[in-house]
Amino acid sequence: MTRPRLRRAAIWLVAVALVAGCAGSGRLTAPADSDLPPPVRTVMRNGMRLIVQEHRAADLVAIYLFVGVGTRHETADQLGYAHFQEHMLFKGTDKFGPGYIDRVVEGVGGKSNAVTSFDYTTFYFILPTEATATGIQLLSDMAFRSTFAPEEIAREREVIFEEARIEQDNPRSAIVRQLYGIVFAGHPYGRPVLGTRETMMAATQERLRAFNHRYYTPENMTLVVAGPVDPRVVRAMAERSFGRPNTPGFKPTPMPVPRPIPGVVRREVERPEQQAHLAMGWQAPKSDDPAGDAVDLLATILAGTESSRLARRLRDEERLVSSVTMSYSALVGGGIVSLRADLEAKDLERVEQIVLEEIARIQESGPTEEERELAVTKFESQHAFDTETSEGLAYAYGLAETTWTLEAELHYVERLRKITREQIRDAARRYLARDNYGRLAFVPRAGAGR
Amino acid sequence: MSARRRLLPALLALLLLLAAAPAGAETLTVTRSRLPNGLTVLVRENATAPVVAISLMVQMGTRWETPDNAGISNLVQIMAVRGTPTRTGIQIVEQADAMGGSIEATGDVDASEIAATALSRHWAAMLELVADVALHPTMPEGILNAVRDFLLRQIRNRGDKPYDVAFDTMTARLFGRHPYAWDPIGLKESLERLDRPALLAHYRRHYVPGGMVLAVSGRVKTAEVLAQARRLFGEMPPGPVPVANPPAPPAPAPWREVRVVPGAQSQILMGALAPALTSGDYAAVKVLSAVLGGGMSGRFFSELRDKQGLAYTTGTQYPARVDTSFFLAQLGTAPENTPKAEAALREQLERIRREPVPEDELRVAKAYVLGNLAMDRRTNARQAWYLAAYEEAGVGYEFLDRYVAAVRAVTAADVRRVAQRYLAVIRTIVVQPTPP
Repeated sequence: MTRPRLRRAAIWLVAVALVAGCAGSGRLTAPADSDLPPPVRTVMRNGMRLIVQEHRAADLVAIYLFVGVGTRHETADQLGYAHFQEHMLFKGTDKFGPGYIDRVVEGVGGKSNAVTSFDYTTFYFILPTEATATGIQLLSDMAFRSTFAPEEIAREREVIFEEARIEQDNPRSAIVRQLYGIVFAGHPYGRPVLGTRETMMAATQERLRAFNHRYYTPENMTLVVAGPVDPRVVRAMAERSFGRPNTPGFKPTPMPVPRPIPGVVRREVERPEQQAHLAMGWQAPKSDDPAGDAVDLLATILAGTESSRLARRLRDEERLVSSVTMSYSALVGGGIVSLRADLEAKDLERVEQIVLEEIARIQESGPTEEERELAVTKFESQHAFDTETSEGLAYAYGLAETTWTLEAELHYVERLRKITREQIRDAARRYLARDNYGRLAFVPRAGAGR
Repeated sequence: MSARRRLLPALLALLLLLAAAPAGAETLTVTRSRLPNGLTVLVRENATAPVVAISLMVQMGTRWETPDNAGISNLVQIMAVRGTPTRTGIQIVEQADAMGGSIEATGDVDASEIAATALSRHWAAMLELVADVALHPTMPEGILNAVRDFLLRQIRNRGDKPYDVAFDTMTARLFGRHPYAWDPIGLKESLERLDRPALLAHYRRHYVPGGMVLAVSGRVKTAEVLAQARRLFGEMPPGPVPVANPPAPPAPAPWREVRVVPGAQSQILMGALAPALTSGDYAAVKVLSAVLGGGMSGRFFSELRDKQGLAYTTGTQYPARVDTSFFLAQLGTAPENTPKAEAALREQLERIRREPVPEDELRVAKAYVLGNLAMDRRTNARQAWYLAAYEEAGVGYEFLDRYVAAVRAVTAADVRRVAQRYLAVIRTIVVQPTPP
């Protein structure tokens, strides 16, 4: 999980269709107020995309490999495979054994990790600049030459079961995952990223290899490199490591449309903690829908900043919650506005009622001009702080290229500035229905508390 | 076997790279000034991004507390951002939001901090806001009650989290009557008693310019920051800097305890007292900590997670402390694996005392320590924190450069020596979902 940031977003299917077969390179236009040179985006001959950002603040380079495969690409008997795959890529190739990547990366003072989401999987290294070629080659080896040794599969499966236990012990992450299950019931976005015990137990070398072979192909990948680097030199490195032919017959996975939430769906789960938690969720625009811009500002104004409407009313004035946040996540096939609050169980109903009152109020008269400006400032600031480090930019660019467009990401703040108060009000009317949402509460188990 | 041969060029490349590994090299200059009233100002110009970070630190924290007022430093800090004669708490957060930043205040063990960030075009206004909450907190009574309730609920919630229970039990046992025994949030009994007069008295005793450090990092001009700092803080009257006199922690004794807290995982913690920041052993114990629990190449991760599948999270902690610190080895695992995982963790702590660390492993651990430091020092918020925290700890912000050299100089013999010295007596706490 990462912090909410600029639109997590879009047009994956279209992007692949457009770039396949044509190779080209171009500097994009930088945001109007940027101090950095614009990133250079190249489509290699095999369709793989390469984005290079010069960033000379430190002698470190961030290298991200984004693969257009995530939980939503799994079939019912493959639940958890995208994430299992992510783990297994660190467990050895035909060139080196398990633990090698960690030793190489940490041995030069770098770090590595990976994230699996609904629409994508990403692997990253942060390394001293002179290790750039080594890092790119390692990512290529992981993507195309992993062995999926049966004994490593058995070991890593246990690690993932531990990961699931940690998630279960953390109410804040557990409630968000379960909220997705309600808002996207019957849709791939409602599935558990970590899979089920049954599907995980059934994962074999053969099945994981087949999954790898199908989705880990250059035309389904983006490599992002940010640091004190020359784009031409990086391109040569990428050609050397990733210039291989595609797996024949790769086809993007069709995206089902989420079914509307049937009215208000309420669920309550008993937990061992004395602290109660509330989550509410609405379906929202998908990543390529321009309507999402206003929704991003709307969620920020309601509960996306310390001085937001709901933070002031619920936390500072009525003191019913210790924290409340709302955010918009734009996925390729659908979006979600989710609210989360920490509170006492006795205040659950009152807090839900106040959330609905505040939604009604913004549906009626929209935000003030100060609120609109403040929300735009929040996104401007997020972008400014992202540029402090090379990985802040590399992640943003890879995510945009995989689930949205790089061009849209680069000019996002400029677009947000043009959104009017009326558009934000209309987004509240259209997307935050008071009779159509998912509501999940974690309440203390009877007798909890010592 | 052919795979092994192909490894060779890569390993050679690795050795060459090590010579040039990032070492937290600080190429940007820092300017240190002292106002006539004793307040230290550190400014680091960094034009990378249009942002600024401010850290104002005070000689106040658990180290100056007793069980009777445990948590008072953190409470003073939280109350500082809840109102001044000219701003309500809500206006304070609203103004920070409008500057594209944030302002928050917390108490820690060796110092307390007001930390702020903003878009750099608002640097002067943000510094003014920091000065206002630092110099003129009103600590309104009604809000104090709400904040206290919030903190008491947080203490209650800690009791519901297996890891927090394990950690709090460990520090309480390791430190006894020394104030590092409790979390900066405080203790239930003391928090319930703390009132506004006690907070104001604590505030006045600790907010004296001779014990305060202001660090600013970002796209700013040093001369302008200094002029603004003089204008905002120059009028503070000088006063005696409070001296901490905490009792020594108890002598180490082996000890094991099992506690039951509902959850899906068991938490196993093994701990020992460890040297202070100023000790000549500090760098060697940092390297020891990395050999065992450093990242994914450390022994815990590679042996306990990768080879035995016993954990998802496992690692070590060895925080920088002005007084005697602690070393902690930790692991979360499935309840049925608990005995096996505990034995495996213990074996790791024994092995490092028994056998010297191979040179390759030592090199990786040192690169890990220095690389992490270099990566962590890139954002302005972390830079401001590092500058202020080491200055406040009495070793000067230049400490980090000396530390980098000390880490480079650590040998396998050093690691074994500090392992034998500090890991001789281990305390263990196991928190599990069901009674043993």
